[in-house]
Amino acid sequence: MIRRGKGVGCMWYPIGFTVLANPSAATVKVNEDGTATLLTGTVETGQGSLTVLAQIAAEELGVSTDDIHVVSADTDTTPMDTGAIASRTTYVTGNAIKLAAANAKQILFEVAAPLLEVQPNQLEAVDRKIQVQYFPQRCLPIADVALQAQFVMGRPPIGSASYNPPTVGMDPETGQGKPFSTYVYATQCAEVEVDDETGEVDVIYMSAAHDCGTAINPMLVEGQIEGGISMGIGFALQEEMLFDDKGLQLNPNLTNYIMPTSLDMPEIDVDIVENFDPTGPFGAKGVGEPTAVPTAAAICNAIFDAVGVRITSLPATAEKVLRAIKEKNDNDQKILPAAE
Amino acid sequence: MADEVKVADKTETVESLRKIDDNLRLPSVPEKRVFPKEIDVSAARMQTPAVGQRATRPDGRMHGLGQTKYIDDMFFPGMIHAKIKRAGIAHAKIKSIDVSEAEKMPGVMATLIGSEIPVNSFGPSLQDQPLLADDVVRHAGDGVAAVAAVTEQQALDALEKIKIVYEELPNVFDPVEAMKDDAYKIHNNESNIYASKTIMKGDVEKGFADSDFIFERTFTTQMVEHVPMEPHASIGEWDANGRVTLHSSLGRITLGRADISRTLEMPINRIRIIATVVGGNFGGKNEITTEPIVALLSKKTGRPVKCVFTREDEFISSTTRHPFVMEYKTGMSKEGKIMARKVRLICDGGAYCSWSETTLGKACILSAGPYNIENLHVDAYAVYTTKTMTGAMRGFGAPQVCFAYESHMDDMAAELGIEPLEIRLKNAFNEGSASPTGQVLEAVVVKDSLEMATERFGWKEWRK
Repeated sequence: MIRRGKGVGCMWYPIGFTVLANPSAATVKVNEDGTATLLTGTVETGQGSLTVLAQIAAEELGVSTDDIHVVSADTDTTPMDTGAIASRTTYVTGNAIKLAAANAKQILFEVAAPLLEVQPNQLEAVDRKIQVQYFPQRCLPIADVALQAQFVMGRPPIGSASYNPPTVGMDPETGQGKPFSTYVYATQCAEVEVDDETGEVDVIYMSAAHDCGTAINPMLVEGQIEGGISMGIGFALQEEMLFDDKGLQLNPNLTNYIMPTSLDMPEIDVDIVENFDPTGPFGAKGVGEPTAVPTAAAICNAIFDAVGVRITSLPATAEKVLRAIKEKNDNDQKILPAAE
Repeated sequence: MADEVKVADKTETVESLRKIDDNLRLPSVPEKRVFPKEIDVSAARMQTPAVGQRATRPDGRMHGLGQTKYIDDMFFPGMIHAKIKRAGIAHAKIKSIDVSEAEKMPGVMATLIGSEIPVNSFGPSLQDQPLLADDVVRHAGDGVAAVAAVTEQQALDALEKIKIVYEELPNVFDPVEAMKDDAYKIHNNESNIYASKTIMKGDVEKGFADSDFIFERTFTTQMVEHVPMEPHASIGEWDANGRVTLHSSLGRITLGRADISRTLEMPINRIRIIATVVGGNFGGKNEITTEPIVALLSKKTGRPVKCVFTREDEFISSTTRHPFVMEYKTGMSKEGKIMARKVRLICDGGAYCSWSETTLGKACILSAGPYNIENLHVDAYAVYTTKTMTGAMRGFGAPQVCFAYESHMDDMAAELGIEPLEIRLKNAFNEGSASPTGQVLEAVVVKDSLEMATERFGWKEWRK
């Protein structure tokens, strides 16, 4: 018989390395037409980080995402970066890029100020223009200012900067300290169907609400969450590397190492929890790893709700769930008073 | 009707199937691919302000049109291929390695063994891992020799001719057994425990004494692989000036370059790493693997050398997610407030440290969950075993401990007769809560996320 259940899993997760320095550096070069090139040492690993980083540079310069060309991941040309690890790219590399773009922008402001007959600190960069704060009628196109800076004033608008999240070392005896600059929070809920005759678990639906500070690109955040859930489902129900008694792997191939396919994916609803982290670039934190964290917990709690068995070892394969159901039935029968 | 076969929904005769259909033939000359001259850029990419826009990715078009160049798509003039011989034995002393027969095989241009690598060790916290094992094999996927040949098949054939004499050593597969004093010491250290972390906050014994109920449960998790679509890959080219260029699937090139400099004993300014768009990382591509090997094979042959892991290499020789043993003991008030928690984590570190120390540290801090617990004691240990090494993988220990603390939470909720959502809201961090390490937390939205996810789910209205 198919039995349905619901389960919830909640988590917290830090951004960046534990205590250790994990800096990023970046360079932003504004071209003479107001477009810009961003140099970063981080690597695009499929999550869309370079697009998010372009958006951060664009926001600081007041231009559009498409105005930024990103050059990444070449140790001869791009500045140092701790890399695509520890959910740190948006937060740490993003902060470095925001600071680098601000340095380039400062040159534009200094060049534009006399032309607009104001002080540089009265200016802002908005909508491809350098304009006076609270008097936007007085403005110049960013392209004109960049051209002026480079070819008339001889000051190419190039900015470089670095960022390292501030931490406090942990006491070796008690672990007390400030190991991370910031954390994110998330909850996922799962609805499952468990066949109590076979032990098979089918994840029908999941809702996920993740905090990532400001979502620089909500579409890419949603993509990360859906991808993380697929990885979480594999961890919860299917994936396991098996060894023989000699220590040789039994299933080092995709025929016998079972992982979720598109057919195993449930319907997913994603919500982004509104939040703003004052230490992040435009309030952003990160989202990469946390998306795969609470999935298995939510699914196993849903199995418990459906059939009343607690899975204490992952993965919750059909065999394991069926064995637990049988054990529970046997125990339940023992509790019944013997018929007279 | 015997000569009729059913093909999909159509009924066709065998004769008609035998006829050559020109429409089904592959063209002898590849079709010209014409890309649209005017590129449609999504409106979201053109708008200001840029933050908050659903901007499309420029690499999406490249992926869609098959233009993205992964390492395996790259060819350089004269390029040859490397393959790595795996030990196939979990724990053994290497008595001898003989590559002479392999070198005589057709197409073979060079071989490499561990003793030829200037500094044959690496690792992000402990440098305990050889690039190619030269004295002891500590897990079955350890590389023991590499061959570079004109084709991949020739390199594979030559691997078969490498003769290695092993002296078997005792295996230690269970991390709990490995922690015992009398267990065989895999790295000749005093203990197989190579990292330990502690968190102490409040008075856990007093907290248990003040509790109305005590709950205990042990949870375990399994070893899993990252399974990126693109396996680990690299191409090394040693030029006439003694400068090496590496195209690599590494996810952290700056530190990769430092590791290559250390293992090859070369100044950093003679090393260039170019990373492509990586076809999936998930933590698995955060360390060097084949890069120094292809560099040295290129130095030996004067050719660019490519090495791409097979799926089997990926499973048996790259890092994986740590199996954990997690013992939880929690004291609860009858109202459902967590009074005290004691946690013991044992992390199966496999043959080498890799990112285990970091994983252990994060797991230790996160193991209490996003809950206010005044009295907390966590002990965590990373232990060597003679299995595939474990390392960084999406979550650094968090998915393991989250499975444990959230399962434990529902166990307790069921016993106390409290609704799972309610017990979480009762204990969750608030703005300004102190973390297990005493850090004051800001911008805390645990309760918002709980409410939002359950609201979307229809938690309260949901019926079986």
